[in-house]
Amino acid sequence: MSPQELITQTRRDFLATSSCGLGTLALASLLRQDGLLAAEADIPANPLGTRMSHFAPKAERCIFIFLEGGPSQMDLFDPKPLLNKYDGQPLPDSIVGDAKFAFLQKDSATVMGTSRVFKKHGQCGMEISDLLPQIATCADDIALVRSMHTTQFNHLPGQLMLNCGESRLGRPSVGSWVTYGLGNLSQELPSYVVMVSKGRGLPGGSSTWSSGFLPSSYSGVMFRNGASPVLNLSNPDGITPDMQSASIRALNDLNRLQHKHIGDPEIAARINSYELAFRMQSAAPDLVDLSGESQATLDAYGVNRIEPPIKSNLGGIGNYQTFSRQCLNARRMVERGVRFVNIIHASWDHHSNLDPQLAHNSQMVDQPIAALLKDLKQRGLLDTTLVVWGSEFGRTALGENRKGFKKVTGRDHHPAAFSLWMAGGGIKGGQVHGETDDFAWNVTRDPVSIHDFHATILNLFGLNHNKLTYRFQGLDFRLTGVNPAKVVKSLIA
Amino acid sequence: MRIFIPLALLISCSALAAEVRVEFNRDIRPILAAKCYACHGPDEDKREADLRLDVRAEAVKSAIKPGNPDASELWKRITHTDSDNVMPPPSSPKQLTKAERNLFRRWIVEGAEYQNHWAFEPIKHPAVPKSDSKNPIDAFIEAKLRTHGLKPAPAADPIALIRRVYLDLTGLPPVPADLAVLSNWSDQTYEQIVDRLLASPNFGERWARHWLDMARYADSNGFLGDGLRPNAYLYRDWVIQAFNTDLPYDQFTVQQIAGDLLPDPALEELTATGFHRNAALNTEAGVDKEEARYQNIVDRVNTTGRVWMGLTVGCAQCHTHKYDPITIRDFYSFYAFFDNTEDRSDAKNKAQTLAEVSKDRRQTYVHMAGDYTRRGPDVIPASLSALPPMTKPLLPEPNRLDLARWLVSPQHPLTSRVAVNHIWSKLLGFGLVRTPDDFGTAGESPSHPELLDWLATEFMRNGWSRKHLIKLMVMSATYRQSSAHREDIVELDPLNCLLARQNRIRLDAEILRDSALAVSGLLKRTIGGPSFRPPLPEDVFDVGRSSNWKVSPGDEIYRRSLYIITLRSVLYPTLTTFDSPDAADACVRRERSNTPLQALAMMNDSVFVEAAQALALRALREAPPEVAKRLQLLFELTFNRLPRAEELQRLAVFHREQKFRVKKDGAKALQVLGNISSSIATSDQTEAATLIAVARVLMNLDEFINRE
Repeated sequence: MSPQELITQTRRDFLATSSCGLGTLALASLLRQDGLLAAEADIPANPLGTRMSHFAPKAERCIFIFLEGGPSQMDLFDPKPLLNKYDGQPLPDSIVGDAKFAFLQKDSATVMGTSRVFKKHGQCGMEISDLLPQIATCADDIALVRSMHTTQFNHLPGQLMLNCGESRLGRPSVGSWVTYGLGNLSQELPSYVVMVSKGRGLPGGSSTWSSGFLPSSYSGVMFRNGASPVLNLSNPDGITPDMQSASIRALNDLNRLQHKHIGDPEIAARINSYELAFRMQSAAPDLVDLSGESQATLDAYGVNRIEPPIKSNLGGIGNYQTFSRQCLNARRMVERGVRFVNIIHASWDHHSNLDPQLAHNSQMVDQPIAALLKDLKQRGLLDTTLVVWGSEFGRTALGENRKGFKKVTGRDHHPAAFSLWMAGGGIKGGQVHGETDDFAWNVTRDPVSIHDFHATILNLFGLNHNKLTYRFQGLDFRLTGVNPAKVVKSLIA
Repeated sequence: MRIFIPLALLISCSALAAEVRVEFNRDIRPILAAKCYACHGPDEDKREADLRLDVRAEAVKSAIKPGNPDASELWKRITHTDSDNVMPPPSSPKQLTKAERNLFRRWIVEGAEYQNHWAFEPIKHPAVPKSDSKNPIDAFIEAKLRTHGLKPAPAADPIALIRRVYLDLTGLPPVPADLAVLSNWSDQTYEQIVDRLLASPNFGERWARHWLDMARYADSNGFLGDGLRPNAYLYRDWVIQAFNTDLPYDQFTVQQIAGDLLPDPALEELTATGFHRNAALNTEAGVDKEEARYQNIVDRVNTTGRVWMGLTVGCAQCHTHKYDPITIRDFYSFYAFFDNTEDRSDAKNKAQTLAEVSKDRRQTYVHMAGDYTRRGPDVIPASLSALPPMTKPLLPEPNRLDLARWLVSPQHPLTSRVAVNHIWSKLLGFGLVRTPDDFGTAGESPSHPELLDWLATEFMRNGWSRKHLIKLMVMSATYRQSSAHREDIVELDPLNCLLARQNRIRLDAEILRDSALAVSGLLKRTIGGPSFRPPLPEDVFDVGRSSNWKVSPGDEIYRRSLYIITLRSVLYPTLTTFDSPDAADACVRRERSNTPLQALAMMNDSVFVEAAQALALRALREAPPEVAKRLQLLFELTFNRLPRAEELQRLAVFHREQKFRVKKDGAKALQVLGNISSSIATSDQTEAATLIAVARVLMNLDEFINRE
């Protein structure tokens, strides 16, 4: 037999089909037909094979924009006219109660007013601050929740709570749960992608998108900025795509020969992984190559816009174009079947210099997020793509008078009441859900816990949060924890 | 990839097709625990209809009429067609399958006998079954195979076996010289290899890694800031030494849990207490210190329970355990052992250690519903009530040292079984109990209960020597079987519980990287010392707050993977891609996944690329200047065997075509030479670039990624 015949022969012997984008489950059934697998229990089931949801889903994909640090809700989403009236005065004890603070000196703290102006937007008349004029034009697509509350008043526990449903390390993130529940729609891209633009740095680092106790296949894959977005995506210098293709062929043929010898069905799965990796090597750079986008689109997202000058910024300087690009990439990802996208920016933790820095961050995100919503809508994707704006908590109406601060220019952490919003993916837009008191201190109507919020996201994906479980340390864990969580039905269209 | 077996299809190891009689522990209790005990189990607060099914005397009062399913309320309810009466209620996510209902029926027909949970019963000392085998392990395994009409697999090919035992005992593949023994192959030669490997310092490195997984070892605090623990490595090095000197497991236990309470403790004994300093710690400004302290102790309790006893005691932090006999009071009595423990920095050796508070000691109490602010009844330190009590009267109350000694007392039903099972799982692929972190009622029963107990007894009888135990296991014919697929067992035993062959195991993350460095000759073998930072693209480490990632100098970066720094916010992706743990919780069993990101790492991560370059250079220098010889040497260095004819043929085709492509691309293709470029004569560069591509293919083969 000539070498060429040998190659052809072994490939046919094994599985001519393993390169056609079949999931391993399909592969396994072929193997079974071939008598390579006899028992169902031995199927090396593909952890990323697509799976049925519990009921008909409204959302198929999610873009979760996580603005780390706690953006000030009363300067963005929850207008409180009394703030300026009480500026410089203490808050009544009846409101403050026994609240804990990270830095604020409770006895001497006073209300800090706001320089923001709120106007009504859209047919629904949603009040949004002048810092987000473009997002405001999407008000009729947005469900704004003003009654969020969390149990955590420190950053990382709060962030883990928001992203992973528990305040401790080691739990899977929302994106991991969704991927675990539904598998991967794409045959050439990861199911769960994360993009980060760094200012101060993300406290939890990769634990924010960790698969926790779920297998690592469900972990978020970080897309880096630049032409080679996935770690180890580029071949070594000197190895051309041609050579890579030939290398993969050679190694898969050798694997098939080994399979003939020892018969382990896992080898089929290994071959499949290498073929998927090879496809990812061209699909991922194509994804971030924006040369096919129209000038109008690039301009809408602000991909080439100029960042206004600022002396210093906790959220970093030089992130404007990056953030725009990430929002555009997010659309390109969901178009290509990526299930869950995290866009993360740190930080919005304005203990001081709130006015200039919140304005700077807001301007950074306003245009691209609005462009994303409109672009998704225009392409008919918004109906099935959930977009979320969220953070781990809000901020206090009290100005922060931390020891050593000469002036009060910012606000402390506030977990008892804060805002986030959702749009698309089966969300009923044009509504405000919940209410807080005159100082955005406590929720006064329709409280929504983090677990309720997670239960709602899973519900949009057709997943029952009580049924989506994973056994770990003797317990059936779920994203929404032990105590009952509720799906917020009125948020759903 | 074996991880995602749909539950409905999973055939548990303890219930194989040939077994006829329904057995409570094996067949019934797991169903009750998973689907009934939440409302009809040990937890009084959540009990419905005043019915408990975990105690026979209670169950037979009303729910079960032994011998008569049709008169049993339980049978009526689980088969009821009315949604108001059927059990479990339709709202429960845990419904019974038809097969499970039938098991209940058969069990009731056969008399509805209960059994005590096997793992809480004293360890038995079973007789070794009659057998021709020299090794008692084989006698147990073969006896069970025989009842299923099966024979063990033939012995593995000697090369595969040598490779297996090297990887399992040292985490490194053999070098070609290690295979010289083949010319004189016998049981004695194999035993000599085993003895040599057990005495090798690399043994401690490999087995320390298994323990460090359980110790949730990291070089940083985790949480915001993720502060460095620059001296954490002293504990890691202590573990390596403990394995290398074969520190008996009882002392190994006592020193880690209570080394500070030993009379006049030596430095090493203090360093050992670093075990419980490894937990993540929130030091964020504004953190509630009492809450952080509470969480820290809870972690110590849970970790001790899982690592030494295989118990999910953490379930009882908020409420009495749903299926195991652990009350919330038990949990906080156990917690009390750690409630007056504080962290200390030992000035003499810089290690982070434990110490006991002497003044103003805290009174421990139950924290209601697991809330650190809700005070319940006071408790004193005590062992779990379902397990044997601490023996001698301890006044005024027992301390951590008593706890540690209780764990390793010969009467303890769990410690030895759990340890033996863990070691077994590292050598045979899975534990005899397939849920190594859950020996409770919701875990799996052992596939070979007599063997487990015999090993647990043997372990203690030999002074808790792990080297002795490991040698016993690797000398067995069971271990030495071929791992080749067996068509004749897939129907009967798809999960290979009976061990009619060895399991083929995807190598751990660390071994993959270390193997690549070893076969290419790049590996730097220094043992112990501060952790190092391998190269990492800036935007990968730069997402966290502790973003100072200064790559370690010189050949430090070629050290073994267990020395790579573990920062909880910047876990090293080359390792986590291959399922290395996140150091958040004790990791008793790693996943073995198979993903495209693994393929990308093996093909393109700089360490694997450099290994391919160095390996190619070896082939160029060490082999006669003929393509076939070079390919053979590359193959032999990578796999310790010569390629079969068809493999060599395929490699030769790749080599020829690749060389053509390299020539065509000229200087651009030679960039693949990287750092070795200057070591190679111009006339050899095309060949070297070609060999690098070949080496890269070889190190990505399934055979490299798995241990046979």
